[in-house]
Amino acid sequence: MAFRQITTLIRKDLRLQFRAKETLALIFVFSILVVLIFAFGFGPQFPETERELGKLAASVLWGASVFAGIITLNRSFALERTHGALHGIRLTGVDAGNVYLSKVVSNVIILLLLEIVITPIALQFFGLFDDVSMGTLLKLLGILSIGTIGFCAVGVLLAGMSTSTSGGESLLSVILLPLVIPIIMAGTKCSVSLLSTSEIEDGSWLVMLIASSVVFLVSAYLLADAVIEE
Amino acid sequence: MHLSASQITKKFAHRTIVNNVDLTIKVGEVVTIFGPNGAGKTTLIKILSTLLRPTSGKLEFEGIDAFEDYAQVRSKLGIIIHEHLAYPTLTAFENLKFFGQMYGVEQLETCCKTLLTEVGLQRFSHEPLHIFSRGMTQRFMIARALLHCPSILLLDEPFSGLDAAAKQFVQERIAQEQQNGKGILITTHNTDLGYHVGTRFLFMIDGELETVAHKDGISGEALMQKYEERLIKTTP
Repeated sequence: MAFRQITTLIRKDLRLQFRAKETLALIFVFSILVVLIFAFGFGPQFPETERELGKLAASVLWGASVFAGIITLNRSFALERTHGALHGIRLTGVDAGNVYLSKVVSNVIILLLLEIVITPIALQFFGLFDDVSMGTLLKLLGILSIGTIGFCAVGVLLAGMSTSTSGGESLLSVILLPLVIPIIMAGTKCSVSLLSTSEIEDGSWLVMLIASSVVFLVSAYLLADAVIEE
Repeated sequence: MHLSASQITKKFAHRTIVNNVDLTIKVGEVVTIFGPNGAGKTTLIKILSTLLRPTSGKLEFEGIDAFEDYAQVRSKLGIIIHEHLAYPTLTAFENLKFFGQMYGVEQLETCCKTLLTEVGLQRFSHEPLHIFSRGMTQRFMIARALLHCPSILLLDEPFSGLDAAAKQFVQERIAQEQQNGKGILITTHNTDLGYHVGTRFLFMIDGELETVAHKDGISGEALMQKYEERLIKTTP
């Protein structure tokens, strides 16, 4: 029953997002703009060393993903609050943890789609695309995925709280960004390393990325009932 | 089966919205609560539906603590409040199907089609809710509330904003559900309609609930007069 409810909720979330297309259009355009602004700002003569180029590309990728993530999280809960749909879901008796997990999965799917599209574009604009092997690209997407799971794990919980308050959209950025600093730091370090040397030089950043994502996911799941039910 | 609230109080900051309310809704009866705007009717409905926790007091369904085991209790309740409790960009059918899957309703597609036909929305079943008029939305809300065959219906202002035909439809549907053995709670300002559908009447004034009479103990005119007198007495 719980698994069926989670899959039903995920399908509903994706259907709402793909039908309205507002959020998807907004985050894709926003992310491409971020890449373009940095590409024009630093180009056309980019740093010559791969390490410097890697730093630039990784920072832009994480910056675009984080801010697109905030837009996605806000929109995702705004749809639930409009006309009391979240109350409708609560009235079905579904466990708040299942609602939380479904929201995390649907937001991760949308952000992963964005990252799959935006990563090759960013690498192309920063002149790294030809130097990055398919294996490194997949590893980079893997790092982004782990970071996205951790980001959405804590972001969904905070979006659930902030969207029920006035000025919730700006509140989410204020309360979320300080909390996800470990994920952004570790994710960016791993990505820089991958883009510069095709491997993760310092494994401790990867451990930190995975550990923070797991801790955020577990603790947010345990707190979901208090946030969704109150 | 019955839903029983005892000594329910709800405070927002220092303001008491619902004050020490005792109420039982049994199957087969229609309890009508009359009260002016701001009396606490909607807050009470939200507490009874477990959407809002009271500051103090107890809510039980068949002896089960409604706030401890809300999953079990909520599946027995059908609710109509001022919000749609649904997604405006999904169609009426998609909404019913989604909520039906969440409730675990069997033979769901047939059930959704039957309900939409019963509430007169079969022609609009594939239209998104955001294009629905107030009356159509209310019809959809009735279908949504009945989707999982609840034992108790909690209806907050079910007649507000409706034209004569829609009011007639809601009245008939309430009578039908009462005959089907459901316990129904209605809040309304409309003494005429409230009297017509109700079997037991209460006033809610300034968050406090006052028992008035059963239908066989009071006429419609007497109820209306009593309500007006009570409102005048309250007006500062």
